Amino acid sequence: MNFSYDENQLDIKQLADKIFSELANDERQKLVDASGSRFDPELWQQLAESGLLGIAIDDSYGGMGFNFESLCLLIEEAGRYVAPVPAIHNLVSAAMPIQRYANDAIKEQYLGPIANGKTLVTATLANDNSLNAMQHSNGDWIIDGHISCVPYAVYAQAVLLSATSEQGLVILLVELNADSKTLTLVEQQSTACEPWSQLNLQQHPIAAENIIASGDKAAECQAWAQQLTIAAQCAMATGLSDKMLRMTAAYTSQREQFGRPVATFQAVGQRAADGFIDIECLRLCTQEAISLLSHSVDNSNQSVINEAVTIANIWCGDICHRLSQSSQHLHGGIGVDRDYPLHRYCLWAKQLELSLGSSASSLEQLGDQIAAEFA
Amino acid sequence: MNITFTHEQMALQREVRDYMSILMTDTMREEMKDPEHFEGGGPEFRRLMKKMGKDGWIALSWPKEYGGREATPIEQYIFTEEVMKAGFPYPFLTTEAIGPVLADHGNEMVKKKVVQGILDGEVVIAIGYSEPDAGTDLASLKTRATQQANGNWLINGQKIWTSLANFSDYIWVAARTDQDAAKPHKGISMFLVPADNPGFSHTAIHTLGVRTNATYYQDLELSDEWRVGEINKGWGLITGQLNRERLSLVNHGPVYQLYQEVAEWAAANKNSDGEQLLNKAWVRGNLAKVKTGLQALRLICLKQAWAMGEGTLTMEQASAAKVYGTEFFVEAYRLLLEILGHNGLIQAGSPGAILKGKLEHRYRVGSILTFGGGCNEVQREIIAGAGLWMPRGR
Repeated sequence: MNFSYDENQLDIKQLADKIFSELANDERQKLVDASGSRFDPELWQQLAESGLLGIAIDDSYGGMGFNFESLCLLIEEAGRYVAPVPAIHNLVSAAMPIQRYANDAIKEQYLGPIANGKTLVTATLANDNSLNAMQHSNGDWIIDGHISCVPYAVYAQAVLLSATSEQGLVILLVELNADSKTLTLVEQQSTACEPWSQLNLQQHPIAAENIIASGDKAAECQAWAQQLTIAAQCAMATGLSDKMLRMTAAYTSQREQFGRPVATFQAVGQRAADGFIDIECLRLCTQEAISLLSHSVDNSNQSVINEAVTIANIWCGDICHRLSQSSQHLHGGIGVDRDYPLHRYCLWAKQLELSLGSSASSLEQLGDQIAAEFA
Repeated sequence: MNITFTHEQMALQREVRDYMSILMTDTMREEMKDPEHFEGGGPEFRRLMKKMGKDGWIALSWPKEYGGREATPIEQYIFTEEVMKAGFPYPFLTTEAIGPVLADHGNEMVKKKVVQGILDGEVVIAIGYSEPDAGTDLASLKTRATQQANGNWLINGQKIWTSLANFSDYIWVAARTDQDAAKPHKGISMFLVPADNPGFSHTAIHTLGVRTNATYYQDLELSDEWRVGEINKGWGLITGQLNRERLSLVNHGPVYQLYQEVAEWAAANKNSDGEQLLNKAWVRGNLAKVKTGLQALRLICLKQAWAMGEGTLTMEQASAAKVYGTEFFVEAYRLLLEILGHNGLIQAGSPGAILKGKLEHRYRVGSILTFGGGCNEVQREIIAGAGLWMPRGR
């Protein structure tokens, strides 16, 4: 039992903090906001040059070869700064399944460029059965269907998707060529101004080598990628909520009403303390999920992992909501002013709260797992 | 980071579990049905404590010079969890809170008589801190100790909520020895009062859940050898003692066991409409909420124990554990009792009692915890101040 990070991990955390404090501070984010899209290519390039995009990519592809836990430290820091970069979509949801399940050619094509920031791959791995895949006699595939939101599709070279087929589930990599007649993207914006696109595929051809996994392997790949994504979102929520609370404590300590700092009112201190406890719960449940996902070598403890991830997701939804509301409330008017950075945190908190399962749906899932265990 | 037990820790868990399953006899369970002995003190309790002492379990976390195994706080947490799950009324405050303070600050007589007695399972100590007018604001206590010309102390005052005092061998009493100290906590000293001293008496207070006591110290004459630590420096002994005690304060083991028992009960019983309870969405929802809270509690406790071992436990961390754990207990008892329903309210000993009436009793006991051991609002002030650097108000 060990709750501490090793030296390499602490270096990662420190380096990420340094880069984000320089390139994701409030002034720069105002410029990014003004551009109308929450993506900062300069910041992304800086992360690439420092090696941080390759934390969990094998060294044979130019990465650092560290584990998922180390990657989540970068993501927690990205949350602390609400950094306008697709860290989870690209480095977790897309790169991790490619690294574990794709063939060598695909790995060769994508992992190096992801690590050095030249290529961005996104992913949408929800279980909504909205895509159908059919295999041709020549081995290639045809995909049909509609996906309601693909994050950062406008910047990505490819997207990792799941589709149903006669052979069962397939996980496939679809290249996002702008000039394709069978693939169209419609731009949308999320509540946190993240670029999300609708994706329409009409009889869209996919080469056989772009199939990452099929059948049982595909189901395994999808479940695993979802769990990593949820755990990474929880890590981001931890950094994000922690920062919201620290901003609130600092602001109420200097803001005066009735001749004294607002923080000295007991009700204010008590509510902030509740936030502190909430974040401790989220942090620990998240660390457990990440630790299990990072250290498990086989499927022997799958039910323990499932439970830990689901529980972390429940805390994530609850704490994102509670901390966002209490931080805004304790700030008063400035908390909703778009000139003050807190608003970005609150919008992201809402997004994390609802991505890949709300607290309510996760609670139902956990209840079903418990019922199966005791039935 | 690796949040799993080592092989050695798992082996210890099995060892304690096996030991406790044999130790906990039917006679002990029978004895605990008497409210007077629910928290120990009966002949079987005394017999089993001696056995635990002889078998070396009481000294588990103690230094080798005391015959201990020098268990780490994580190992001690594992031990605590298994002992609590077994339902044995082990006196953790004696063995983990006061015992180590006596070993550090007691004179040779105290070490030989009391500390050795604790390790042999022959001594139980009650804590005499709270007074009718000194609760969370403990430093305002009024019980007075005055040193006589012959060196003996004369103690006068009243303590309240002195749990276990009806069968304890000693009372660990905080008394004011300097009326004019610059700050109230600077004029306090600590005494070990043998329960057979003629100046000591107690009366029962029957709370919603357990029996406790009011204790009286009337012209109680005490030799100076029963003073522990320096005169007027008692406050440090009180606050220092709040350390290992934390491992038993909000231990997740007992609630985890209740959760399991209720889930098993819901699998075996039907709702009023004839459907199996475990199939009901609201039952699954309640169990899931309890499990979600339990996971956080388990990790908070383990991290606290780990930090204790590393010497990095902070005030805000300890306070957060106390607030979260105690408030979660109250919530968990409610959620689990909802599943048992109306019949869950039948008291232990009645033919229709469910799970031996455990939840009916627990919810009555549970409300003590949020204000006992340092009121939760005060803990939150500590968190806001020490954890978030917020200025304190009045």
